[in-house]
Amino acid sequence: MADTVKIDYKNIFYPPGGILMWIVIYLELVTFGIALVFMALNARAEPEMFHESRLLLNTAYGAINTIFLLSSGWCMAQSVYFLKKGNFSKSKLFLNLTILGGFLFLALKSVEYYDKVEVGLTIGYNDFFGYYWMLTLFHVVHVIVGIVILALSARTLRKKPETLKIEDYQSGATFWHMCDLIWLLLFPIIYLLF
Amino acid sequence: MEWTFNITWLVLIVLTIISAVFANLDFAYVAIIILGLSFLKFIGVAFFFMELKKANVFWRVLLVAFLGLLLTVVWAV
Repeated sequence: MADTVKIDYKNIFYPPGGILMWIVIYLELVTFGIALVFMALNARAEPEMFHESRLLLNTAYGAINTIFLLSSGWCMAQSVYFLKKGNFSKSKLFLNLTILGGFLFLALKSVEYYDKVEVGLTIGYNDFFGYYWMLTLFHVVHVIVGIVILALSARTLRKKPETLKIEDYQSGATFWHMCDLIWLLLFPIIYLLF
Repeated sequence: MEWTFNITWLVLIVLTIISAVFANLDFAYVAIIILGLSFLKFIGVAFFFMELKKANVFWRVLLVAFLGLLLTVVWAV
């Protein structure tokens, strides 16, 4: 199936994952980017409050979640690679591992959120935690949507793998990697910078 | 197994650990180092996992330019 499809990625209209997905990615990055710039501007106005608030975050949770997402992204890339080779069983294995990585991320994020809520560090606590909750929750929504997309791909891969189009599969994979990209901006700026 | 992905993953994990270690140090260039490492990790995911390296130069330049601009602005303010 997949080896018969030759996509000219060098064509400006056919980036890997599809042009529509890349337009979505740029819009998402700009949206998160603007919020992060405003966060940095607020931090400039109140540097001590931002620093003290940042120290209330658990850097280890953030770093472990980064490792979960990067490992999940690695599995996704392998899954696409094996699908292109027509090896459905390995593609399915790596896709399931990708989804597992997403669930591990959400589980640790839930623990982190529980810890914060328990001590009263909610969205209204101060400006820093306002940004923290808005940006990380918005990212969590993306991760959940990504898991749903991957679960649908996994269903097709399990039941009718021959009907799965590599372009569609790669679009779903690209969305999942976008969750990595957004987190790679959020983690250093929110957890480490201020 | 695609070895380019394996090497990319290993580099990304090492860079993440280095970022976390640097964040606990207190010296003048911590912010720029953290943002620089973030830049490298972002490029690693986009160019290798997402295979953007195979895309038209327009998409590659656009992503690098956006990222460079964003991190510079965050650092400068």
